[in-house]
Amino acid sequence: MLAYTLTRLVYLALVLAVMSVLIFLVTQAMPGDVASMIAGQFASKEVVDAIAVKLGLDQPLVVQYGQWAAGILRGDLGRSLVLEQPIAPILMEALARSLVLAVVALAVVAVVGIGLGVLAAVQRGKLTDQLVSGISYLGIAVPDFFWAIVLVLIFGSYMKLLPTGGYAPIADGFLPWASHLVLPVITLVLMLLARIARLTRSSMIDVLQTNYVKFARAKGMPESVVILRHALKNALLPTITVLAIDFGLILGGVVVIETIFSYPGMGRLLLFAIQRHDLPLIQATILVVSAAYCLANLTADLLYAYVNPKIRHGMKAA
Amino acid sequence: MMTAPQARPAVAPVTVTAPAPEPAPLLDVRGLTISYGNARGTLRAASDVGFAIRPGEVMGLVGESGSGKSTIAMAILDLLGGGGRVDSGEILFDGVDLRRLPAAERRALRGDRIAAVFQDPFTSLNPALTVGRQIAEPLIQHKSLSPRQAAARVLDLLAEVGIRDPRRVTAAYPHELSGGMQQRALIATALGCEPKLLILDEPTTALDVTVEARIIDLLAKLCDSHGLSALFVSHNLGIVNRICQTVTVLYGGLVVETGPTGRVLSRPAHPYSKGLVAALPRITAGRRHRLPSIPGTVAKLSGPPAACVFAPRCPFAEETCRSQPQAMLTDAAGDGVRCWKADALAGTPWPDEESAARKPAPQAPAQPTAPLVEVDHLRKVYGANRSILPWLRRAGTVAVEDVSFTVGRGEVVGVVGESGSGKSTIGRALLALTEPSAGTVLFDGTDLTRQVKQGDQDLRRRAQLVFQNSAASLNPRKTVGDAMDRPLVLAGRADAEERRKTVAGLLTRVGLPSAYADRYPHELSGGERQRVNIARALATDPDFVVCDEAVSALDVSVQANILNLLAELRDEMGLSYLFITHDIAVVSHIADRVLVVYGGTICEEGPTGRVLRPPYHPYTEALLSAVPRLAEDGQEAPRILLEDAAPTPGGQGCAFAARCPRKLGAICDEQAPPVHRADDGHRIACHIPLATLAERAAVFPELVGDAAH
Repeated sequence: MLAYTLTRLVYLALVLAVMSVLIFLVTQAMPGDVASMIAGQFASKEVVDAIAVKLGLDQPLVVQYGQWAAGILRGDLGRSLVLEQPIAPILMEALARSLVLAVVALAVVAVVGIGLGVLAAVQRGKLTDQLVSGISYLGIAVPDFFWAIVLVLIFGSYMKLLPTGGYAPIADGFLPWASHLVLPVITLVLMLLARIARLTRSSMIDVLQTNYVKFARAKGMPESVVILRHALKNALLPTITVLAIDFGLILGGVVVIETIFSYPGMGRLLLFAIQRHDLPLIQATILVVSAAYCLANLTADLLYAYVNPKIRHGMKAA
Repeated sequence: MMTAPQARPAVAPVTVTAPAPEPAPLLDVRGLTISYGNARGTLRAASDVGFAIRPGEVMGLVGESGSGKSTIAMAILDLLGGGGRVDSGEILFDGVDLRRLPAAERRALRGDRIAAVFQDPFTSLNPALTVGRQIAEPLIQHKSLSPRQAAARVLDLLAEVGIRDPRRVTAAYPHELSGGMQQRALIATALGCEPKLLILDEPTTALDVTVEARIIDLLAKLCDSHGLSALFVSHNLGIVNRICQTVTVLYGGLVVETGPTGRVLSRPAHPYSKGLVAALPRITAGRRHRLPSIPGTVAKLSGPPAACVFAPRCPFAEETCRSQPQAMLTDAAGDGVRCWKADALAGTPWPDEESAARKPAPQAPAQPTAPLVEVDHLRKVYGANRSILPWLRRAGTVAVEDVSFTVGRGEVVGVVGESGSGKSTIGRALLALTEPSAGTVLFDGTDLTRQVKQGDQDLRRRAQLVFQNSAASLNPRKTVGDAMDRPLVLAGRADAEERRKTVAGLLTRVGLPSAYADRYPHELSGGERQRVNIARALATDPDFVVCDEAVSALDVSVQANILNLLAELRDEMGLSYLFITHDIAVVSHIADRVLVVYGGTICEEGPTGRVLRPPYHPYTEALLSAVPRLAEDGQEAPRILLEDAAPTPGGQGCAFAARCPRKLGAICDEQAPPVHRADDGHRIACHIPLATLAERAAVFPELVGDAAH
C-alpha cells in the first residue's frame, strides 16, 4: 500500500511537471504582451522595454520557465499584474471557497445519488426505478444555468428565503454561511446526480446477479444485509471514479454557476484572470486546479483499494 | 396424467402396500412445474417433476445443460431468478410444504436447515469481505451466536473441512485462496448451522480433477458423519457414481429415469440415460476410436409435452413415440423410467456411431519426416518488471520452464495439466501469440517469433486456434458467415462469391447446414458454436490447430460429438493438433502422444498408450487415479489424493515436490529431476528410479492387457 502510494505520488509529480510546461507555453502564446499591459496603453517603447527587462521577459523562454517553476517550488506563485498583490493568498482564499462548495455538493450527490441508484436497482423495472430514472434524466438534460436561474427566481426573488448570490465567511456565523451555499449546491447536485444515480444503478444490477450475492441469499441473509453488506461495497467502484472527476470539475470548471450566484471561487478567479490578461494569475490558477484534479484521482484510487481488497493485494505486490 | 401408448409397466404396477416400512423422506418433491416467462413466451423448465430424498441419502440429479436440474435446485431454495416461477407442485421438507410458507420463513430455513454450495467457488465468495466473516454470517444470523463465538466456531468448521491453517484462512480475502480452499470454505459455511439437507449444484465442476477428487471425498465423508441428506446436481456421471446412492435423470424438464445409482449407471433403462453413459469419455489407449454421442440438442418445452420429449434424438424412436407423451413407469422397487420401450430395450446398448466399426483406422503418420513444430527449451516469464522505481522491480512469475517437444505432421499431441500448469501458455507460444522469454519455436523449420515479427502472415494462416468458451470467441454482432469470412479476406481471397461458397462448404464440413451462415451466435447451441469456431479455424486451410480446452465447456454428449469431428478432420485433412486439456480421459481418445505438464515443466511425455500404463510419473498416476469412473468400468482402486499446494516453478528442484505423495526427501526440493528415457520417446522426469516407478500397479488394469505401445 505504501509502495503503491509512493509510486502514484512520483507519477503525480511527473504529471504536474509536464502540466506546468504546457500551461507556461500556452499562456505565453496568448495574445497581449505583459510589459505593455503594465506600462499602459500610451507608454513609450523604452518604458515597455525597461519593464520587460525588470520582469525578466527579455530572457529566453527556458530561463523564464525555470524562474517561474523555481518560484512555485519555493511556494512563491508570483504577483498578480492586475491586482498588484501576491497571488498565493488570493488563490488560497478562492480555493478554500471552491473546496467548501465541492465538498458539500459532493457529499449530497454521493449520499442521494448512491441511495437513489441502489433503490432503482433493487426495484428494477418498477415504478420507483422509472421515477428515479425520469427525475435524474431531467436533471442532466436541462442545462445547469437554467436550474440556477429558476432557483434564484423562486427562492431568492419570489420567496425571498435565501440570498441569491455572494458568499459569507463562516466567521459571520453558520446560518449566513450555509444559506449562501444552498442554491449553488442544489444546482450542482441537479447537474451531477443523474450520472451517479445511473452509474450506481447499473453496477448494482450487475452485482446483484453475481454468485456471491446468490450465495449470501442461500445463507439466509436478510435482503437488507445482502444489499448493503454484500452488494453495495462491490458496486461502488465505478461511482468512486466518477465522484473524483466531479470533484475536480467543481473546483475549476463551474464558471457559469459561480457567475450566476456570484460565488467567488476558482472558476470566477480564472475567468477574471483571463479577461484581464493577468498571465501569472492564469498560470497559477490553472496549475492549482490541475493539482487538485490529480489529488482527487489519487484519492479515488486509494479508496478503490479500501473497497476492493484484491486491488489492495496487488499494491502490496507492487 | 399423461398416458403411454401401451401402458406397460417395467415390472409391475405400484401396489398400495409398500414393500417395507421406510423412513419418511426428508425432501419430497411432487408434481413440480416451473416456467420462465417473458414477453416472447414461456419456457417450461420443469414439468411435473417428482423425487424423494430419504434422511441420510444423497441423490444425484443429472442431465445435460438446459435439462432443468439447476432450476429445480433453485426452486427448492426459493431463489429462482430471471422471471422463473413455480406453477404447481409441492416441495415437502420434513413434511412441510415449503411453497406454503411465507417468504420470511423460507429465508430463515435457508442456510440453517437447508444449506447450499454452488458451482463456481471463485465467484461464490464476496471479494470484499474476509472469508471468516462470510462463514460466520449464518451462525450469527440463524444461531444468534455473538461474533466472538461465531469466530471460534468458524475455526472448528474450517478444520473439519480439511483446512490446515484455519487462522490464516479466516483472515484472508477470497482471492488469496486457491479454488479448492475456496470450495472448502463454502462447504464450511454450508455446514455451520448443521443443516439437514445440502443442495450441491455442480460443486466440483470448476475445479481441477485432483482437487475435485478430494472435495468429493470430503463431501461423502461429511454426509456420512453428519447423517446429511443431499441433492447433488451434476452433469458428471462419474462423480455421481462416487457420492450418490440414488439418481434421477432429467431431460427437457422431465424426470426420465430414477433408481439406485449402481443400477442406473450400469443398466440404464431409458435411452437418454444409455446415451449419457455411453458418451462419457473413458480412459482408452485406443486412439482412432469414435465416441458414441447423442445427436441434436436438448428439448425446450413451452407447455405439456405432446410426444416423448427425447424422441427427436432417440435412435430407438418409433412413430408412436413421436405422437404420444410418455408416462412414468414404476416398478416394485420404486425405480421409474419414462419410456414404453424400456423393457424391450433392456440390454440393448446405445448404438455406436455407424462409421466407427467399418472405417479402417488410418495409419499413424510416418514419423521420420521432419516435425511440423519443434519447441526447444521454451521459457516464459510473466510480469517481470525492470522499472526505474526500485520498489516496482519484480522478477516475474515463471509460467513455462525449459519445455522441449515436437509435433509431427498429422500428429495429435495432448497437453494435460491443471490450471496454472502453463499449458495454455505453451499453446499461445506455438501460435506466436506470446513471445517466449527464452528458447525457440520452429514452425516447419522456421523460427516463429522472428518470422511473425517480420510480418509473415503465412504462418498465421497455417496455424489456428480453437478456444474453450465457444460463445466468447464469436462476436455477438456478427453472423456466423461474417465471422468466417474475415479470415478468408485476410488470407487475400478477393472474390466475395467464392468466399461465400467456401464458408458454406466449411459449415457442411463441420456438420452444420450452410444456411447457418446467416445466423447470429446466440441462435446456436454451445456445440454448434464450437463447430463454427472449428470451421472458422479451418477457413485458412491450416496445417496446425491448437485446441485450448476446446471441449471442456460442453456437455458429455456434445463433447463426444466434437471430439469425433476433430478426429475426422485430422484423418481427412492431415491436420496436426496440439490438444490442451485438463481431462486426461479426453486426451486418451484423440492424442497420439501426451505431455503431462505441471508447474510449467513436462513431467512425463510419451505415446498415449505408454503414458496411461506404468511406469508412471507420480503426478500422472495421481491424475489418472482422480478420473471418475462408472461402476461397470471395474473396481475402484484407492485414490491418490494430493495436498492442496501451489506448484513451485522456476525453483531449483522438482515443481511437483510440494504435492508429491512419493517424495523422496530434500533431493526433490533441491535438484532438478533426471529424465528417464525409453526408445519409443517415453520420458519421465523423476528422482525415483525407473524400476521403482514400474513396480506400481496400473491405475487402469484393463489397459495393461492391450498390446504394449
